[in-house]
Amino acid sequence: MKRLAAVLICCGVGYAADGNSFVIEHATIHPVSGADIVNGSVLVKDGKIAAVGTKVAAKGVRVVEGKGLHVYPGMINSATELGLSEISAIRETNDTNELGEFDPQLKAEVAVNPASEHIPVTRANGITAAMTLPSTEGGQGIVTGQAALIHLDGWTWAEMTVMSGAAMEMLFPSLEAPRRSFLAPPGAAGPPFREVKKAYDEKMRRLREFFEEARRYRAAKEGNEAGLKRDLRLEAMIPVLEGKMPVMVVAPREREMKAALDFAKEQKVRMVLAGCRELGKLGPEIKAAGVPVILGPTLATPLEQDMPYDHAYALPEEFHKAGIEIAFGTFDVQFARNLPYEASMAAAFGLPKDEALKSVTLNAAKIWGVADRMGSIEVGKAADLMVTDGDPLETRTAVLQVYIDGRPVDLNNRHKRLYEEYMKRP
Amino acid sequence: MKHLLTWFGIAALAMVAARAEAPTLMAIRNARVVPVSGPAMARATVVMRGGLIVDVGEAAAIPPGAWVIEGEGLTVYPGLVDALDSVGITEASALEAAPAARRPGMGAPAGPTPAAGPPPAKGPEDRPMTSSWLRAADLVKPEEPRVATLRSAGFTTAVSYPMRGIFAGQGAVIDLAGERGGDMVVATPAGQYITMRSGGFVSYPGSLMGVIAYIRQVYLDAGHYKTVEGMYEANRRGMKRPDYDRALEGVMESPRILLPADRKVEMDRMIRFGKELGQATVLYGMQEGYRSADLLKGAGMPVLVNLKWPAKARDGDPNAYETLRTLEVRAHAPETPSVLEKAGVKFAFYTGGLTSGREIKAAVRRAMEAGLTEEAAVRALTLEPAGIYGVADRLGSIEKGKIANLVVSKGDLFGEKSEIKYIIVDGKKFEPEPESEAPGSGGRGPMTAEVGR
Repeated sequence: MKRLAAVLICCGVGYAADGNSFVIEHATIHPVSGADIVNGSVLVKDGKIAAVGTKVAAKGVRVVEGKGLHVYPGMINSATELGLSEISAIRETNDTNELGEFDPQLKAEVAVNPASEHIPVTRANGITAAMTLPSTEGGQGIVTGQAALIHLDGWTWAEMTVMSGAAMEMLFPSLEAPRRSFLAPPGAAGPPFREVKKAYDEKMRRLREFFEEARRYRAAKEGNEAGLKRDLRLEAMIPVLEGKMPVMVVAPREREMKAALDFAKEQKVRMVLAGCRELGKLGPEIKAAGVPVILGPTLATPLEQDMPYDHAYALPEEFHKAGIEIAFGTFDVQFARNLPYEASMAAAFGLPKDEALKSVTLNAAKIWGVADRMGSIEVGKAADLMVTDGDPLETRTAVLQVYIDGRPVDLNNRHKRLYEEYMKRP
Repeated sequence: MKHLLTWFGIAALAMVAARAEAPTLMAIRNARVVPVSGPAMARATVVMRGGLIVDVGEAAAIPPGAWVIEGEGLTVYPGLVDALDSVGITEASALEAAPAARRPGMGAPAGPTPAAGPPPAKGPEDRPMTSSWLRAADLVKPEEPRVATLRSAGFTTAVSYPMRGIFAGQGAVIDLAGERGGDMVVATPAGQYITMRSGGFVSYPGSLMGVIAYIRQVYLDAGHYKTVEGMYEANRRGMKRPDYDRALEGVMESPRILLPADRKVEMDRMIRFGKELGQATVLYGMQEGYRSADLLKGAGMPVLVNLKWPAKARDGDPNAYETLRTLEVRAHAPETPSVLEKAGVKFAFYTGGLTSGREIKAAVRRAMEAGLTEEAAVRALTLEPAGIYGVADRLGSIEKGKIANLVVSKGDLFGEKSEIKYIIVDGKKFEPEPESEAPGSGGRGPMTAEVGR
């Protein structure tokens, strides 16, 4: 109750914003990029971090007293559907999973609903930015569109967008038999493997053909071919082919991960693996290829019946030990707020604590090419900050203030409203 | 004249089953005889007349005029019995007889699907997935191709059931030869074949608990039906006639029920359920029988062991993850017969969709490699099933007065290099048909053709 009171007071502070300039004083600063600073200050000017340290000259700006509090960079959720999906079971509230196999021209940010109830819920836990994906597992697509890095604050999607086309999302074709329809009688056998393999080979052929087509389009465009018809689909692939935009390949199982690695090598594209649920023997290969990995939910049951209970919990450390750069994504919208706990569960099962924190802050910024703008508390970066009463990876910690681009963010949200409403019940 | 008729008979038979010969009087001389009901005889003679065994023994006299098979170097066994099958019943005849069983999501083997079936069932009153009145005896046809295939594997008898739905229908003990279906029937009804199939999400019952509750309701209804009918019989005037319900008629007619149980938890559940229903119960499946001896022994119910040991699907994903449980059952299931033999549980084998002699022999041999004695293996395919189905007075052993169903092999029946020479069904001699190689099977390893269940 005391903590809640503190939260409410701090919200009050938040409302009394005067521009995007202020200083947080006497707090423990955790820059992530360097050593912690005890009794330090963070000076924010016009939404950017202007100074960090124990001796910060701050005159004429509002002072936020941070005694006994901790300042961290805001966290980045590297895989969500925030803004694109409200209630997954209600078709009308889902703007993901466009039809068609190749939709690189889709841009996730344009469909983001800034009024989504999930956004305030998520940022109240210290998450200030998220990669929002145009598709999720289960769709028919292969190249599903461009994921966007968005700030979890803003009146319009344009205001929220940090980076349009942060990655080209791909759901890699799988050799696993399609899931049986729930209408199928129990015990009915799935399709024989050779049929699944045939469909897979055909999908892979179409995928290669599409990349080839995009390459030809690019050449034609560069050569100013007369009468070239502009094609958004193929044009959207150009940054990918030029290595400017990474492909974010969702591949949960070792077999698909391996195929994706081979594909990226063959097509000479920059890749980020995502949603990996096992590592298998791929450690050295992923490391050698310099491919970063976005890990899916750590708070998950083991992949297979006989795997150890901590399979999902210990997986991040397995990747980290193999020398692979990791970040976390929740791959959903309703639990996007749980991002820090994905990392903390991994930390409880072997991942070094500082690495766990990095994986939800600086690593993510590096992977998405925005390390010059966010991910740590360094001069010149956007003031995406959270002020807490402890370690944000601990569930008991309360996030007291959140700043996005130096703007104090309203921490009120649907969860809190419901909490308050039902606490009133006699 | 009689002689002439016999020859006509032979000619007619020759048209139906080319390899059959039908002398009324036949003897096998100087063969090793394994009567199963008693100790083996090293050198004995079996005499058959009119489809029955009339004499057997070392000193049995061969009547003049008998067709004589020289048994030197051969062994005579009682004809094998497949304790649970749907042999003789064609998909088409079953569908024709019970269109109501053509509900969506029945888990039926691939076949013609109805264009428009009946609407999904909403409750037990719709008698979902029920064709308890179907009688295998009415459906079997000697020309169904598996009859000859199974016979060539040494089987003279099978207990055949309609196999679709929850209450699938009445089984019949049939001999695997005849001119018409009626010729084949030895005993009917043999029992009610029950499965725990559910209607998926489209039709009641859609869950295991629904299926169990449904079966329970049907038995309660049957009890009530019997009472009301009794009252009506006693005093027809002034009483509304009871509704006729063929589903209940079929259930009441069944002398025993067959309940499915592969896993131990299923065995426990079905043992309790069978006792609750107050019906003579036979369990079938038994994949986990190797670890359920005490349970089965305590229950005192006979069990039918599926000879089609669990195996990896040949057309499955080669990299698919297999659970320890799957691997364990696959490794240990063939130990089930030997474990049951040691524990003294009454069991019989059924082919579970295996058809060719090669596959069936390989399956029996696997059980023997896991510790089953040859004697018990033969019993589980002869006298035990006959006993379980109450036809041991007619079938299952080589004794005077029993039906002349024999299988004659060179070497021990389940020996590595044994060879079936003759199969005698109802006193008619058949030679095994050459095994047709399944396309793509390469002639080795078990076929994957799933027949029946």
